[in-house]
Amino acid sequence: METVVQRRISEIVTKRDAGWKIIILLLTLILIFILSFALGRYPVPPGQLLEVLAARVLPLEPTWNATVETVIFQVRLPRIFAAILVGAALSTAGAAYQGMFKNPLVSPDILGASAGAGFGAALGIYFSFSMLGIQLMAFVGGLLAVGLTYGISIRIRHDPMLALVLSGIMIGSLFTAAISCIKYIADPYDKLPAITFWLMGSLASITPRDVYMVLIPILLGGILLYLLRWRLNVLAMGEEEARVLGIYTTLMKTIVIVCCTLMTAASVSISGLIGWVGLVIPHLARMIVGPNYRVLLPASILLGGAYLLLVDDLARLLASMEIPLGILTALIGVPFFLYLLLNSKWGWK
Amino acid sequence: MELELRNLSCGYGERTVINSISFSINAGEVIGLLGANGCGKTTLIKTILGLQPVQGGEVLLDGKNIKNWSSAQIARVIGYIPQMHTPPFPFQVLDVVLMGRTAHIKPFASPAKKDVKIAQQALEMLNISYLQDRVYTEISGGERQLVLIARALAQEPRILIMDEPTASLDFGNQIKVLSHVKQLAGLNIAVLMSCHFPEHAFIYSNRAVLLNNGRILCNGTPDEAITSERLKTLYGIDVDIVTVKNRMNQDLRVCIPSRSLAEQDKSLQLIERRKEYALA
Repeated sequence: METVVQRRISEIVTKRDAGWKIIILLLTLILIFILSFALGRYPVPPGQLLEVLAARVLPLEPTWNATVETVIFQVRLPRIFAAILVGAALSTAGAAYQGMFKNPLVSPDILGASAGAGFGAALGIYFSFSMLGIQLMAFVGGLLAVGLTYGISIRIRHDPMLALVLSGIMIGSLFTAAISCIKYIADPYDKLPAITFWLMGSLASITPRDVYMVLIPILLGGILLYLLRWRLNVLAMGEEEARVLGIYTTLMKTIVIVCCTLMTAASVSISGLIGWVGLVIPHLARMIVGPNYRVLLPASILLGGAYLLLVDDLARLLASMEIPLGILTALIGVPFFLYLLLNSKWGWK
Repeated sequence: MELELRNLSCGYGERTVINSISFSINAGEVIGLLGANGCGKTTLIKTILGLQPVQGGEVLLDGKNIKNWSSAQIARVIGYIPQMHTPPFPFQVLDVVLMGRTAHIKPFASPAKKDVKIAQQALEMLNISYLQDRVYTEISGGERQLVLIARALAQEPRILIMDEPTASLDFGNQIKVLSHVKQLAGLNIAVLMSCHFPEHAFIYSNRAVLLNNGRILCNGTPDEAITSERLKTLYGIDVDIVTVKNRMNQDLRVCIPSRSLAEQDKSLQLIERRKEYALA
């Protein structure tokens, strides 16, 4: 009798525990969100921010000058939303791939999405396309690279997961070489620096339109993965076991790849190459809430959004000049990952 | 529920490993599948589970061919217990058992309270409720195997298939796991279990199917089917089968392997010669 009661209690505690952790992560994200307005070359204090936001729905007398509104709605809000979206998308894709490949060292660019997007963008810059053109090229490039990887892998008669990873590495290298090729022939005074800066990743020139554009693919991929998150657990037990437990793995794998690619390619198309987020954040989330995707996925979304927003704030504030985001995520991500490796609580075996 | 294999042939690609075999399993029966490494036990199991294509013949459930069944349809009838393994992520035991409910819940849903209850009952049935909140990767091999059995039970299957469920378990855990297998048959589940040791088939199965070179060498009660001649054919070694009594005065058949004296002489001679070389 006692054991039954004890079990009930522990069940409730563990469940509540995960719920609380998610709420704390959400509050952290909101805190960084508000903080991000208050920091920068044109700080907006929380009180004023609330007034300006409230004025959108309530008939308030403006006590602030027009510049504040421009800063909030044209500059800071799009950038903050972009940072949260990109961070959340890369972390979700990374978490999903790590389960699907049964490997905690996998990141969202494993199938060549980033390299393909980089190639598309470089090509767009080379041909002097508009910003929109470059972004579309990057998005299509990412989809194309993963499409090639997938198409090749299903023709390899071997362990399908191994085939997928191998062809992903090949296609990734191929597109990386193609990027170098474009850089080599690009105008060294004009185009080459533009390509190089794009590849370093940045959210400095985000416009509201960019955010609207990537919202659709990121939400599409994210919502589908979120709905399928219980099945990601089963897929992490291995393909054969997942099939025996009743999952049509061929379809499930394809859905995961399509979702992750949509999210990664869309992110890279507006932010450039931002590494380490998709690898490190799922680990951190796993250390906090455990490996069950029911809570791991929401935790990755919140943590990824909060992390990239914080790093982007640092990119704005650390120096008098903007630091490229991709450099900063690596500079912070690598030591952090090493710390995780040295720490005994890995969240994976 | 009855699982019937009718003239079933299977293998990898062009190669045929199992050649037109037929047998059936009924509810409440435990069948021990015996054969040497590479004789096709695992291939046969994978084909029944739909992981490998059928090359010829058919797999029938209650007379219905399951060739075009979806993975979920098969999973609602057939449960599978793999060899002990370690997943890359430290899932909670209850979550692992809940994975058995996958075929019963909608694609976009997560397990509900009802599923948790079924999973907990499965753990209870195997007397491992205390493991519920433990981490699957941190419990012992024997416990992990019992959790996998609980997961298969949560599937509410009518047929259970086990691929050497005691491989890589220590002596005590082998016996503990196998005694639960016998208990499952009492739930009116049909069990097909491939085993390494003929002795396990004697104790825990009602019927033994002996596989040799992709064909059935014999299919019958363990006492009839497992003889020292057939074990010689299967494994290529001389075995004496003797009946002894355990401390509860039950008759037990045990297998005692023996090597011929000539062979032993030969190896002794080799050792002598080595010594001579070493001295010289």
